[in-house]
Amino acid sequence: MHVIQRENNEAKPTRILYGANLSHDRLIKYLEELKALGVIQETGMDDKIYSLTQKGIEFLNDFRKVESFASAFGFKI
Amino acid sequence: MEFIAFVIAIAVAFQAMKGYKFSKERTLLYLNLSFVLIGTGLLVDGLSNLFVLLARGERGSLYVYGLGNTINFLAQLLAYGLLVFAYLYQTKNMGTTIALAAVPVSFIQHNAFSELILIFLLVYVATQTAMNYSVNKNVNALLVFGAFASLAVAHLFFLLFTLAPVFFPLAHIAQLFGFLLLLAMLLRVNQPV
Repeated sequence: MHVIQRENNEAKPTRILYGANLSHDRLIKYLEELKALGVIQETGMDDKIYSLTQKGIEFLNDFRKVESFASAFGFKI
Repeated sequence: MEFIAFVIAIAVAFQAMKGYKFSKERTLLYLNLSFVLIGTGLLVDGLSNLFVLLARGERGSLYVYGLGNTINFLAQLLAYGLLVFAYLYQTKNMGTTIALAAVPVSFIQHNAFSELILIFLLVYVATQTAMNYSVNKNVNALLVFGAFASLAVAHLFFLLFTLAPVFFPLAHIAQLFGFLLLLAMLLRVNQPV
């Protein structure tokens, strides 16, 4: 999700693959899970392009707040 | 001043609970419980001080003041003990964890020695947050380190208060400053992205 957001909210699978340092099988698995959760969506006509949904953007913001808060105390999540 | 610190402590506890519900990370639950205890202790202490002021030193009011002070002390001892436990839990240092778990129970009476135990716990937490800042180098980590360092100094001043009365207001100022640093951290964390 970080990778998609970094790419101005539009990323092809290859970009996500290298950005997240995942194998192809894992990437497909995680993308399907994220789609099922409703945090990413598939756009693009010919090429597959993934983007964050509003729910995904909110989730990422909440995650950043929690991570920022926990890391201020030296706790990892 | 206790009421301001109480509000900030509860705000930190609330943020920690939000984080725990989001991530299910146990250390955040311990952080939440710790600050709930701190907030409760401060509220009780603040209310007992208010009662003494309103009672104008009537019989029994000093007992209430002492009781409030003791409850606050015990709550903080448990709270900082829990915070130390959270740091040790993170490093899976179970031997030290078990040994430290006995500490808050052993010193129920509020005296200079038990105050030293509380200061030790705060210094440990401040050291952990200092190490965190040295690694992360971000402002939020610095604010948290500053907060716990101020709270440790505050309790040192509370201890020295028996030697010179000037340390009493200084202790409260240091305590409030510590909580204001935590408030600054909370405001930074919750800034819209």
